[in-house]
Amino acid sequence: MALGAPPAKVFPYAYTQEDLPNGLRLVVVPTNFPNIVATYIVVKVGSRNEVEPGHTGFTHLFEHLMFKGTEKFPEAKYTQTLQRMGAASNAYTTDDYTAFYTVVSKEDLPTVMEMEADRFQNLKVSEPEFKTEALAVLGEYNKNASNPSTRLDEVLSETAFERSTYRHTTMGFLKDIQAMPTLYDYSLKFFDRYYRPEYTTILVVGDVKSRAVRGLVDRFWGGWKRGSYTAEIPQEEAQDAPRTAQVEWPAPTLPAVAIAYKGPAFTDTAKDTAALTAMALLAFSPISDLYQRLVVTEQKAATLYASAPDHLDPSLFQIVVRAQHEGDLDYVRDQIYETVKAFQEKLVDAARLDAVRKHLHYGLTVQMQSSDAIAGILTRYVALRRTPEALNRFYDQLAALTPEDIRAAAEKYLTENNRTTVILAGAKPQATAAVGR
Amino acid sequence: MKQLVALLAAASACAQIRLVPSFSKSPLVAFRIVFTTGAAADPAEKPGSAALTAHLLAEGGTRELTYRQVEDALFPMAGSLDVRVDKEMTAFSGIIHLDNLQGYYKLLRARLVEPGFREDDFTRVKEDLINAIRSGLRNNDEDLGKEVLYENIFQGTPYGHYTLGTVESLEKLTLDDVKAFYQSQYSQTNLFLGIAGGYPTNFPEQMRKDFRSLPEGAGFRPRSKLAPLIENSRAVIVEKDTRSVAISIGFPIMAGRNVVDYPALLVANSYLGQHRMSYGVLYQQMRQARGLNYGNYSYIEYFPNGGQRMEPPPNLARRQQIFDIWIRPVEPQNAKFAIRAALFELDQLIREGIPEDGFQRARDFVSRYVNFLTRTQNAQVGYSIDSIWYNLTPYVEMLHNALPKLTREDINAAIKRNLRTNRLVISIVAKHGEDLKLQLASDEPSPITYNSPKPEAVTKEDKIIEKWPLGLKMEDITVVPAEKVP
Repeated sequence: MALGAPPAKVFPYAYTQEDLPNGLRLVVVPTNFPNIVATYIVVKVGSRNEVEPGHTGFTHLFEHLMFKGTEKFPEAKYTQTLQRMGAASNAYTTDDYTAFYTVVSKEDLPTVMEMEADRFQNLKVSEPEFKTEALAVLGEYNKNASNPSTRLDEVLSETAFERSTYRHTTMGFLKDIQAMPTLYDYSLKFFDRYYRPEYTTILVVGDVKSRAVRGLVDRFWGGWKRGSYTAEIPQEEAQDAPRTAQVEWPAPTLPAVAIAYKGPAFTDTAKDTAALTAMALLAFSPISDLYQRLVVTEQKAATLYASAPDHLDPSLFQIVVRAQHEGDLDYVRDQIYETVKAFQEKLVDAARLDAVRKHLHYGLTVQMQSSDAIAGILTRYVALRRTPEALNRFYDQLAALTPEDIRAAAEKYLTENNRTTVILAGAKPQATAAVGR
Repeated sequence: MKQLVALLAAASACAQIRLVPSFSKSPLVAFRIVFTTGAAADPAEKPGSAALTAHLLAEGGTRELTYRQVEDALFPMAGSLDVRVDKEMTAFSGIIHLDNLQGYYKLLRARLVEPGFREDDFTRVKEDLINAIRSGLRNNDEDLGKEVLYENIFQGTPYGHYTLGTVESLEKLTLDDVKAFYQSQYSQTNLFLGIAGGYPTNFPEQMRKDFRSLPEGAGFRPRSKLAPLIENSRAVIVEKDTRSVAISIGFPIMAGRNVVDYPALLVANSYLGQHRMSYGVLYQQMRQARGLNYGNYSYIEYFPNGGQRMEPPPNLARRQQIFDIWIRPVEPQNAKFAIRAALFELDQLIREGIPEDGFQRARDFVSRYVNFLTRTQNAQVGYSIDSIWYNLTPYVEMLHNALPKLTREDINAAIKRNLRTNRLVISIVAKHGEDLKLQLASDEPSPITYNSPKPEAVTKEDKIIEKWPLGLKMEDITVVPAEKVP
């Protein structure tokens, strides 16, 4: 970049952003990838909204229910129409939002818009269908349950948070999943509350023109009625001492320790999120001194990674390390504590910070290989701030970071009182003779 | 004459490395460098050699630079080198912005052509692979079930061991073993150089020159062998402490990508169990209608890590495939019913054939979805390499030629020729292996109960499913602890 030139925006595509009178937002990103159009419908409801006891995991169950059809497009007709289009279609739920996607050839976009608008306004699920779908969700829990990381994640959230709804994972507590079949009436209430235009952003990326898409959206979504519900989401109180927990895994696995610090809510107007994102890489990624020592030189850790908080509400800065031997767990844990302390005391090298900025910039660029990949990247920013501009603003914060910002963020958030440490230990491998009867 | 010899020599030298370039205006350049070697070339006593060699190249230092120096150099470019080892192919892939093309390529080339082979890299990468089995695969019941199925079906052949090897064999492998594997298999004749994007015009030729430093011809490898005949159905139960029961069912088929039945079977399979889509019969009947689990799918080509990925990665070409059904974890009390239900649906397909509307929909789906599968330049190069390996016209073209000509009768004939419900292998991951063994060996009905009323069509079928004969005898069922596989 020439000196004095205005900073280029990290998101290279021009896009339009418009609001319908009912509060629905439309973002259209025409790309140069031929033929394919990705439609992502982002609803700002996630497991974060699950404020009522006994209802954890319900947002995710509701995502499943959205495929149960309407009078005009019953489930079989909806599914078969997508099948004939060769559509790649699915949905997912996170802590903060639910996203539904359909990737088709451009000539099929009008049909997709019509069917999507119909199910968001006229979903019809019978009680037996509801009960059966609750079992599919239990099946989903079951398939995740053989992975020790799932359990580590559950215990970490439950230990770190007391009031925040991030206390439970998006899947929800097992006992709540098992009780889901009894909550049919609540599903009607849930649809009425959240599947509303003011919660929803339609993101269309691909071989399209903005005006034509707006025409389709006006036609099919214009009559959708605005709602009035807002959840009161409890805020976590300040933590006053470090916390710990222990997980016993029934099968042999690598021992692990997860260390989490209460961090800020996502921000694209201040440096906090950007600073912690950079710190996760500087302190714990393969280029960090700690990674090189624990994983490469001493080989006491098998893996080490960290992630910065990027949620609507304050969430966790997490470091997870898997040790080669249980006896090394305390050592690797203490090494992480030491590293955090060093980041609070010393300034990082400016050249390394610059490498992190480049890494994040090019890392984003190389992901943009298709229209659906671009839509996937934007979805999170659209969920957080309802605009792709949040991506640009966040990268502007990264561009402006100084070594002092990193130190300040480490001092502010990565404190002992903010910390939760969870240890996971696997079973010892059984002697062969003890297995089988 | 002299000139002719020189010309022939030049042509053969050029023909040794197969260049697969695909120029576009994209500012991103995708590399797919594929060696046609893999776990099928592992020396008999040294399973895991191919995997350990490939991972050491991709995750170690070069002759000049240590691992840390390579990673430090790649980091600001966001450059990475992924590796995927299979039976016949080892694919290295990476994507880089044009700004960083030369710097990235230099490191990529050095990793593959001038590997460092350092002892400390070797021990680290070896531990990683052992952990990938011990801690990874054995704590992923679904993948474990599927890999055990493949091992069991291909036992006694070069495809008969898990691609990463076994914990026992990996522990014994030495750096010299890896060097020997590299010397013998990483040759020009085994090499495809795939590149796509807005690279400079002379770039592909430069690559070809650079890789000429590899040995010309490859060393010995075991002859490929067909999977042994399955005379009676059999089951293998992998026992571990787990909540639910993961199941895979399969048998070998002869309908690889280069066999005439392939397009027909692709349509039939899409109708029965298109991966991770709600379109298939297995998904509709077992999950949607009955709530048995999270999903049920079927395959005519190897599809690894199905729980993590929506699309099949390219460069998994094989000389023989299996047909398999993947039943995602079910509650233990429904395990036998779920197996019976899957076989019931397969039997329906074989006996009654694909219905006309199902045929039309599945064919439409396959012919359009292939455009989606090949939408990135990275995938396009991968699929091109596979088509060359199979000696076929490009994949998309092949399907677009074959699919419109297919009739329902063609599909049904291909189903009858290739699919069956007997002489199969069932692989199960479950907590109480011996109890399940007793259940499976008995012809007792395994009725299912629901939490809500079901339509008559479902309950009527359930009466048949609950008694569906599995044809398993006690001696055909083995129980093995998870610590013993693979």
